[in-house]
Amino acid sequence: MAKKFKITICSGTTCYVLGGAHLMMLAEALPADLKDQVEIIDSNCIKACQYENALPPFVQINDYLMAQASVAKVVEYLRKH
Amino acid sequence: MTMNYINNASLLKRQLVVRFARLMFAGELKNKIDLLPLHQAPRNSEAVRCCVHHDRAVIRYRLIALLGFAIENEKPDDEARTLSSYVEEAEARGLERMAGSALTVIDEACSACIRANYRVTNACRGCVARPCMMNCPKNCISFENGQAHIDEKACISCGICAKVCPYHSIVFQPIPCEQACPVNAIVQDKNGKQDIIAEKCINCGKCLQACPFGAIMERSEIYEILRAITNPAEATVALIAPSIVGQFNTSLGKLVTALRKLGFDHVVEVAWGADLAAQKETAELIERLEHGQTCMTSSCCPAYVDAVNKHISNIKPLVSDTLSPMQYAGEWAGQQWPGARRVFVGPCIAKRAEAKASPHIENTLTYEELGSVFIAAGVDVAECEESRADLEATSVGRKFAVSGGVSTAIKNAASAAGHNVTDKVIDGLDAKSLAMLKAIEKVVKPGTFVEVMSCEGGCINGPGVISNPTVARRFLEKMLQEHP
Repeated sequence: MAKKFKITICSGTTCYVLGGAHLMMLAEALPADLKDQVEIIDSNCIKACQYENALPPFVQINDYLMAQASVAKVVEYLRKH
Repeated sequence: MTMNYINNASLLKRQLVVRFARLMFAGELKNKIDLLPLHQAPRNSEAVRCCVHHDRAVIRYRLIALLGFAIENEKPDDEARTLSSYVEEAEARGLERMAGSALTVIDEACSACIRANYRVTNACRGCVARPCMMNCPKNCISFENGQAHIDEKACISCGICAKVCPYHSIVFQPIPCEQACPVNAIVQDKNGKQDIIAEKCINCGKCLQACPFGAIMERSEIYEILRAITNPAEATVALIAPSIVGQFNTSLGKLVTALRKLGFDHVVEVAWGADLAAQKETAELIERLEHGQTCMTSSCCPAYVDAVNKHISNIKPLVSDTLSPMQYAGEWAGQQWPGARRVFVGPCIAKRAEAKASPHIENTLTYEELGSVFIAAGVDVAECEESRADLEATSVGRKFAVSGGVSTAIKNAASAAGHNVTDKVIDGLDAKSLAMLKAIEKVVKPGTFVEVMSCEGGCINGPGVISNPTVARRFLEKMLQEHP
């Protein structure tokens, strides 16, 4: 069965260095009730940083592109949706 | 435990290094460096401190530290100096300007934490018993508006008031940098700002990780390094520390290519030096034990070696004379490519001090700095091809990146040579572990090898890392499984 959320973590160098490294802890940080609903993909650069004034690190959650992403922000988003 | 949690102060610093490196790659540092504080803290942005002007003043000092200068050396009139004049001075003076501690304090950023470590919170009910006031040995608690009040000047931070308060309304509030420093090398001056005492400082970088205001900066060598790698006439070698695995969420081979793309001519795995150091250290250990010495400690961690020299010199005879992996790898690179600039790339600030005293390494760069340089150069590590380092290592040396790696290597090598050695790992330096080290001969049983790591968890938790140490360890273990 397809999971409710497909989360693509950008691991391009820009995202990874500017905060994305900590997103690698997302799987461990997910609350138990959300774990089954989430598929996490560790991806090469998703090219979101190429816009002017881009705010890395980026995470794509289904159709939503989250800028300045953090583990806490991702969990909060999942809770609301 | 000082851990690398995500922290806005270090992210802002990385952004600044990206801007700095972009200007260097464009050959415009001298012309445009004075604009960087304005670009990093634009007029209508939300200030982190009281206003953008204060933010800009702090950024200016960060840039001075990035150029390698000690902020403590600033003279009163220097406040009016342009940053480009500092660039000119860096250009003219070379590494001579780097004398002294590898760390520097930005007074402008230091919040002058409150000296007294105990504070009364709003939970105070102003009770009748008033045990805080009754038991204070310095008589420094009074009551104002129905709540206890501590006279910060008189308080000696004994903590009795907090212990006796029935409502737990008095809290302990540390001065983070002082609490993190294992050797009491950072103290407040008369204005409440912190000073680093160079004679005591072991350059471990724990204060830098601990300060919530980002007031402590390492004095960077990034200027020299970028100048060298952008100069086609100058040969450069990147000597990458074992802990680099897991810093960029990619393979070692891609990282090697990325370093070459930046302009490094050669790439050497310092883990090769660790392989060699393990052999030498094992032979040294066996010889010393045969001569009746009780135990021997490792010598690869420069903050620990400095701590011995400056604080527990009685155990100096117990420290291995084997050089660090960095120095062996640097020596090899010097023979291979005479005259090339050898740049150690690692997680460590103490290595900068070690390199300064060594004939085998010219400069040091942290992973954080390297990451920012990759961004500035537009090099995406994960998208690089795989390639091989000029000098590769075995899994023995690669394990030096985590606590226990050194002692495991030596225990195994000694056992292969028919000697039974016990090992003990001192995982992280603090006042307690230093006291234990001071008496280590009485603590361990005869025939012990003692591994000492200043950073808890080993080099993967150094002050200059990008990845969370848990993630870095996962990567390293995966790599060791694939390349046993």
